[in-house]
Amino acid sequence: MIEIWYAILTFMLIMFVVLEGFDFGAGMLQYLVGKTEAERRLVIAAIGPLWTWHEVWLVGFGGTLMVSFPNVMASAFAGFYLAFFLLLWALVLRGVALEVSGQIAEPLWRTGWHVVFVAANFLLAILIGTALGNIVRGVPLDANGKFALDFFTNFSPSGNVGILDWYTVSVAVFVIVIFAAHGATVLVLKTTGPVHDRSVRIASLLWKTILVLLAGITLESWHVRPELFSGMIHQPFGWLGLVAVAGGVPVIFTSLKNGRELSAVIGSGAFIAGLMTAGAAGVFPIMLHSTLAPENSLSAYQNAAAGNGLVIALVWWPLSLIFAVGYFTFIYRHYTGKVKPTEDMQTPY
Amino acid sequence: MEDTLFWSRLQFAFTITYHYLFPQLTMGLAWIIVYFKWRYLRTGDETFGNAARFWARIFGINFAIGVVTGIPMEFQFGTNWAGFTKFSGNLIGQTLAMEGMFAFFLESALIGAMVWGEKRLGPRNHFLTTVGVALGSWASGYFILVTNAFMQHPVGYSVADDGSLRLQSLAAYLLNPWALIMFLHNQCAAVVTGSFVVAAVGALYALRGKHSGQASLFLKTGTLVGLCACFLVATPTGDQQAKMVAKHQPVTLAAMEGRFHGGSNAELNVIGQPDEDQQRIDNPLYLPDALSILAFGHANSSVQGLDDFPKNEWPTNIELLYYAFHIMAGLGTLFILLMIIANIQRWRGRLEKSRGLLWALMLAFPFPYIATTAGWMTAELGRQPWLVFRLFRTSQGVSDVVGGGNVLFTLMGFTGLYFVLGVLYLFLIGREIAHGPQTISSTIKLEVSHD
Repeated sequence: MIEIWYAILTFMLIMFVVLEGFDFGAGMLQYLVGKTEAERRLVIAAIGPLWTWHEVWLVGFGGTLMVSFPNVMASAFAGFYLAFFLLLWALVLRGVALEVSGQIAEPLWRTGWHVVFVAANFLLAILIGTALGNIVRGVPLDANGKFALDFFTNFSPSGNVGILDWYTVSVAVFVIVIFAAHGATVLVLKTTGPVHDRSVRIASLLWKTILVLLAGITLESWHVRPELFSGMIHQPFGWLGLVAVAGGVPVIFTSLKNGRELSAVIGSGAFIAGLMTAGAAGVFPIMLHSTLAPENSLSAYQNAAAGNGLVIALVWWPLSLIFAVGYFTFIYRHYTGKVKPTEDMQTPY
Repeated sequence: MEDTLFWSRLQFAFTITYHYLFPQLTMGLAWIIVYFKWRYLRTGDETFGNAARFWARIFGINFAIGVVTGIPMEFQFGTNWAGFTKFSGNLIGQTLAMEGMFAFFLESALIGAMVWGEKRLGPRNHFLTTVGVALGSWASGYFILVTNAFMQHPVGYSVADDGSLRLQSLAAYLLNPWALIMFLHNQCAAVVTGSFVVAAVGALYALRGKHSGQASLFLKTGTLVGLCACFLVATPTGDQQAKMVAKHQPVTLAAMEGRFHGGSNAELNVIGQPDEDQQRIDNPLYLPDALSILAFGHANSSVQGLDDFPKNEWPTNIELLYYAFHIMAGLGTLFILLMIIANIQRWRGRLEKSRGLLWALMLAFPFPYIATTAGWMTAELGRQPWLVFRLFRTSQGVSDVVGGGNVLFTLMGFTGLYFVLGVLYLFLIGREIAHGPQTISSTIKLEVSHD
């Protein structure tokens, strides 16, 4: 039961990162791929009318974490207090910018909101990357299972750590590049013309960079959290993740080269999902690792909710997933294929 | 700790109050838009089509601000109320997760297509989309009210070995009688907000002599729906809600009414200022026996006063609770009067010529927002000093690792950010209203095509 809920949470987080990851990435690249106002609107149109559906995976993740591991939620959310609010504010600004930039066809209005949009997307990528880095590295949990993180202490990833150190910063950089590459890959699929051609070039360049960064991050992670890799190879899901990563890379490169745009996006999604699956399998069952003393770590086995609440939730959760995919399919049928600029680009989608 | 508790309470109160300004209009408008769409589908009359499109654009802006201000709510349970999350996460997490999984996925998938996709989806699917968004917004309201009802009147739980709560019966938890009545009361109030806003825009257009077809439709729909909703808010839903408070939270009822001393033949205070030091109401204007009748059905029924309860169980802010309740009930009564007069004039065919009444309808739209806010303040202040009524005190629920200064910082951040959002919202909505309902050709031209 506990393993199932851990898997469900990982799945929801992966859905959020893969789906919103391309929204964030495309948003970061808005000014790089879009040189004119119309081209920048095309980027927004490519993100499409379903970005709130993507974001709901994060909301669903929060509620599901509360049901299944309330202690972990209580400890982590309070411990990352300020970082969480930065994330929330960035989400607010980005959502507003996305929705209102198209409301008025006035260059100043558009430019102002586009700048907010690009900046908020970068901030979100940094925050999500830092958060993932913190989960892998661990947090200074005390014997009561509590912690309160400063933004930075001495930039060292051991002992009394802060949110930012050389390891979490490098994970943040890695995630920025991954989101940008993923976003560019989706823009290749969804756009035509100059935006498409620029996205192809940017995607190829970024994916090559990622291969270099991946080697670096692997070595760093080995140093910071050695048991990550031993955990990974002892779990079937760890192998599944590694296979997805290893399989995703050649698919991305050959597909981008041969213009098989959809399979490039699938490869890109598989790469991200694979990394996260392997990581989640590697740290299991530790949900929050303590950098102060290993015995303070919060394990899934000791912190799952008591009673039959988890069994009950396992009845309605799959049902709600089927519905959610159903609504998505009902609408997405009408929005497949490439977006194309028309004479008036006022409305966003 | 004291600082953290105070600022965390203020932050949650501020962010939830601000957030709820938006969903109440969303939930209230949703079915009115469905009605316009349905009439358009049946009759092909462009007046209904344009009305549906106009309100869908307002709905879209409103929805967007509602979404972005809603996301911080769920996360504050973890950041600011970690103790509460630990204590009852397994229960309240169920409905918070259900809200995301059942309601938000539905709304978020359909909202973009509802506002912008009429041409792309075709009439039938676009109508279904509108119904789906309405259902999603009401389902979302239900899940949140179940969560709140558990805090007011906990049912369906048992206590685990470590002292935290565990879910005993999902059916009992989801069908909490408190939730059912509060849901009906709250949804009727949301429809009051929606209908007052529709009527206000109709009155504005009628006074300016613009969009006359739309003005008549908005006035007719707004006042008719408004009349029904205003009655239903008061009775049976409001009445039943009050009886439930009388039965399960008698100390709260005493504080709401400023009733310091118990006894039979309890009076209902209409106006007056509670005076905690003297333990009485200053300058009271009251209806004799009315509280006994309303709460328990007989003039000589005994209604407990605050002095029947230990002081550490009294709501922590009796004055504010008293005023919140009286503002809600007083405004609700005025709404009924306004809507009765407006409907009489409309049946006589004089509404659009009664400029004074049109002015009143136009300026009345902020008051349902005030009444619903006051209603929620009644519910939440009345629950104090408990986070979960009689099980868990508010002071136990706050995150003990977060310093008061950090919470003040985030509260100030929200204040600034939400001020900007408020200005933006008023600007965009004002622009839509000034622009008015468009014809279909100009709406369709605005679409970006996907092929």
